[in-house]
Amino acid sequence: MKVALETGVHRKVATSRTAARKIGSAVLYIVLIAIAILQLLPLVWLLFFSLKNSQEIFDLAPFALPRHPKWENYSDVWSSGNIDRYFINSVVVTLGSVVLTILLASFVTYAVTRMRWKLSSFVLGIFMLGMMIPVHSTLIPLYNLYEKLDFINKYHSLIVSYTAFNLPITIMIMLGFYAVLPKEVEEAAIMDGCSINRLFFQIILPMTMSVMMTAAIINMIYNWNEFIFVNTFISSDSLKTLTVGVQNFIGQYQANWGAIGATLMISILPIMVVFLLLSNRIVEGLAAGSVKG
Amino acid sequence: MDKVMSNKWIIALYVLPSIILIMAVIYVPIVLTGYYGLMDWDGVSSMKFIGLDNYVALFKDHAFWESVGHSFLFALLSTLSLAVYLIVAMVLAGNIKGANLFRKIYLLPMLLSSVAIAQLWMKVYHPTSGILNTTLVSLGFSDPPAWLSDTKYVLGALFVPILWQYAGFYILIYYAALKNIPNTLVEAALIDGATHRQIAYRIKLPLITEVIKVTIVLSVVGSLKYFDLIYVMTGGGPNGASDVMASYMYQRAFKGFDFGYGSAIGFFLLIICLAATWIIRKLTATKDSIQYS
Amino acid sequence: MKRKAIAVWALMLALVMVVSACGDKKDSGSGGDKVTIKLMSQWPEGGAKQQYNLVNEIIASYEEENPNVKIDLEVLETNQYKDKLKVLSGSNSLPDVGFAWAAGFLEPYVKGNQFATLDDLLQGDLKDQFVAGTTEAYAVDGKTYSLPVELNIVPIYYNKEIFAKYNLQVPQTYDEFKNVIQTLRDNGVTPITLGGKDGWTGSFWYMYLVDRLGGADLLDKAIASNDFSDPNLIEAAKMAQELVDMNAFNKGFNGLSNDEAKSEFYNGKAAMYAMGTWEVPNLTTNEDIPQEFRDNAGYFRFPTISGGQGTSDTWVGGVGVGLFVSESSKVKEEAKKFVSYFVKKWGEKSVTEAGVIPATKVDTSKVKLPQMFIDLLNELSSAKKVTLYADVQMKPVASEEHHKLIQALLGKEVTPEQFAKQTDDTLKAGK
Repeated sequence: MKVALETGVHRKVATSRTAARKIGSAVLYIVLIAIAILQLLPLVWLLFFSLKNSQEIFDLAPFALPRHPKWENYSDVWSSGNIDRYFINSVVVTLGSVVLTILLASFVTYAVTRMRWKLSSFVLGIFMLGMMIPVHSTLIPLYNLYEKLDFINKYHSLIVSYTAFNLPITIMIMLGFYAVLPKEVEEAAIMDGCSINRLFFQIILPMTMSVMMTAAIINMIYNWNEFIFVNTFISSDSLKTLTVGVQNFIGQYQANWGAIGATLMISILPIMVVFLLLSNRIVEGLAAGSVKG
Repeated sequence: MDKVMSNKWIIALYVLPSIILIMAVIYVPIVLTGYYGLMDWDGVSSMKFIGLDNYVALFKDHAFWESVGHSFLFALLSTLSLAVYLIVAMVLAGNIKGANLFRKIYLLPMLLSSVAIAQLWMKVYHPTSGILNTTLVSLGFSDPPAWLSDTKYVLGALFVPILWQYAGFYILIYYAALKNIPNTLVEAALIDGATHRQIAYRIKLPLITEVIKVTIVLSVVGSLKYFDLIYVMTGGGPNGASDVMASYMYQRAFKGFDFGYGSAIGFFLLIICLAATWIIRKLTATKDSIQYS
Repeated sequence: MKRKAIAVWALMLALVMVVSACGDKKDSGSGGDKVTIKLMSQWPEGGAKQQYNLVNEIIASYEEENPNVKIDLEVLETNQYKDKLKVLSGSNSLPDVGFAWAAGFLEPYVKGNQFATLDDLLQGDLKDQFVAGTTEAYAVDGKTYSLPVELNIVPIYYNKEIFAKYNLQVPQTYDEFKNVIQTLRDNGVTPITLGGKDGWTGSFWYMYLVDRLGGADLLDKAIASNDFSDPNLIEAAKMAQELVDMNAFNKGFNGLSNDEAKSEFYNGKAAMYAMGTWEVPNLTTNEDIPQEFRDNAGYFRFPTISGGQGTSDTWVGGVGVGLFVSESSKVKEEAKKFVSYFVKKWGEKSVTEAGVIPATKVDTSKVKLPQMFIDLLNELSSAKKVTLYADVQMKPVASEEHHKLIQALLGKEVTPEQFAKQTDDTLKAGK
């Protein structure tokens, strides 16, 4: 990778005439690479972390290799921690709420930014206000509500909570994008006699692919790592998610840190893969060519 | 056109499900919380109505105002840091070699859960064996500070990982926004002989103003109700030196069994967030900004 | 194109239905006379494996002996457990049986009429089973609301190898103790490791100073009467700061958790560490700790202070968690029977199988245990008094405040006088 970058630099340098430009570009790359290394270190650290025992974790320097890599941390976690079950739950809950959130948020954002009605800014305000509410202060009333609805100990409680609490931020992220969508597209479509639903699904949604992906990534990370709701609303072990799996290794007076590391590592891999795939779509959404200014 | 765009049925279909959802999951509970704030309630025994006593006590609570100060300082810093993220996003969105790879690497830490980030940074800050202090010692500082236990440094030491934790989020949003700008605009400007700097200032920035405003509100509100890392890394200590509003609320409600008072804090936090948002909106309002109504 | 919108809604509906179909279907007691008891525990499999296993073992044997009973176990990590208990009680849906901490933790639940009294068990089935003075910590107004399953004292563990290297003897008096600290410091060894971020660990040190200085009853009385003005309480705070001035504790201790601080002891960088007897399995049988280290681990009593009123045979410590039965439980009688069974079985097995000292009497001649465990069990049975942890004695808000104030005291953010005054204020606030 480094080689590729350097040849890239050389080529650029060769075409640019001024020395200042040469240095500027080199400095830029040095900075970029330095930041990249810094950003990669946490993952390396987490890998090492997951291969140590509790004592070594506090004892050795963070980037020291463990004396005897404890791969058994992984097998222990997998066998004793119920991790496979948690994993499936995490996927179901995360996917379910991400799809629901993105869809609902797109509807609302579209209605609020592009359609004309009296209460639109008021409605938008209601959503934005929702962002300011600290999760902790809703827990007890929310629990009461879910109990009445018989949501406790079901996936619903999580999907509904995640969707509701993420809707405001998702709408907010989408607002800026919808605001700059060219009006001409809509006008042209409506002149052609296109219905509003068709306009929304066939023209607007594809145009906002990149923002949907951005919002999806962010939603996914939030939901995947959330644990307050899981802890509160789910009691049966077969419905818990990966984040609670991590909590399982914390005892009253001490914790099994090696196992925590392994669980964290297991839980980060799938989301990393999805992230790498989706983050490409941010660019592709545009390449698809829906936006013709 | 106007008739199509103001079809009441469609608007209701698009907006109502989401409104019902957040009303039930966010608003009803928060109103109840405001109501609990009027109670002397330990969360367990029956409530006793005490009027505004909790709110009065709140105004006299020195520790609370200190936490408010910390929250605001934090909101200010995270807003200022947005400029850095914007620059990084511009560099990444520019057509430099390897931008795609850099972007992916830069956003990776965003995937780590708060638990993992807290563990990592506690290792960095460890007073004797941490990376930071061992480096400082080898550079000749004989007695580097114990970051997380020194009331002078603890707040600053916590800001760094929190800012770092959210860097990826904002870079991602800016990046997606920049990529959303139709290429034709930039190409046209280039043909007209504009420099890259001019394009950045005159074309790109104005086009993503809405997104920038959104991120300012997000970062302020997010900072004001921030909780995770502070709770795990210091628990608000030592002696409240790193308490923010949410951690203080959590401590009073869930650790101190003073749910009435905790609810009052939660409600007050909501009001502060509202006020902050309103002020930001006023400050950033421009004549030509897109009106949503 | 309305069809498309409808199709999307149908899809979403389907999604919700699929998801709910996966949801855990609870049979709502349709199985005739079958009784289900819900039990919540704070010993997760990963973090407290032995306790977790023992709980399950007891459940299994109870279910076998009582085929009409099913025990539904839910396990959470301690902090989450406490939070959830609070949410559940706020909405009046506590589990039938669960674990609670003593005194200050218990009180709001009792006041809120959430826990059932268990005096009938104490008078009947479990009469004379408990170590004297243990169930009192769960009593409010003369009625007992939980039955303890854990009992600990706090010795000072030390590294024999380090002591030998610098020719140090186990200190009997406080002056000797200070000499030990000075010698270690002079030789560049951390004398004591302390995870001050967890305020309760610093509290041990302050409590012992109060005990040795003002006698074993001083602290209990001060907390019970909400009066923290006794000069010995201030003097003890001064002595705690004196230890800080001597650099007795590890650098930056106020920013370290107990887990982080503990590792300094286990890796031989620090010579002493004060912690509850729950630590003993790590010092004796835990294979993750090098054998060599475990062989070199010893403990001593907190030294006496010349001129002080305390003796060396009183300890800081007390009961840990106890079992409660929910007042609103629909199967209260069955739940009580299970609690009684649990306490007895736990008492028989917890030391040997989980390394937990139960609050019921243990016959040390009958069980096979590492020497340090036996010694400490004997200390416990001959102890003149065990003073319950200050933070457990205090009401919840005061307890949190106490943690903060201890941090501030050891961090020299407050003077000893301010420490006493502010403690006094929070106690008087009565929350």
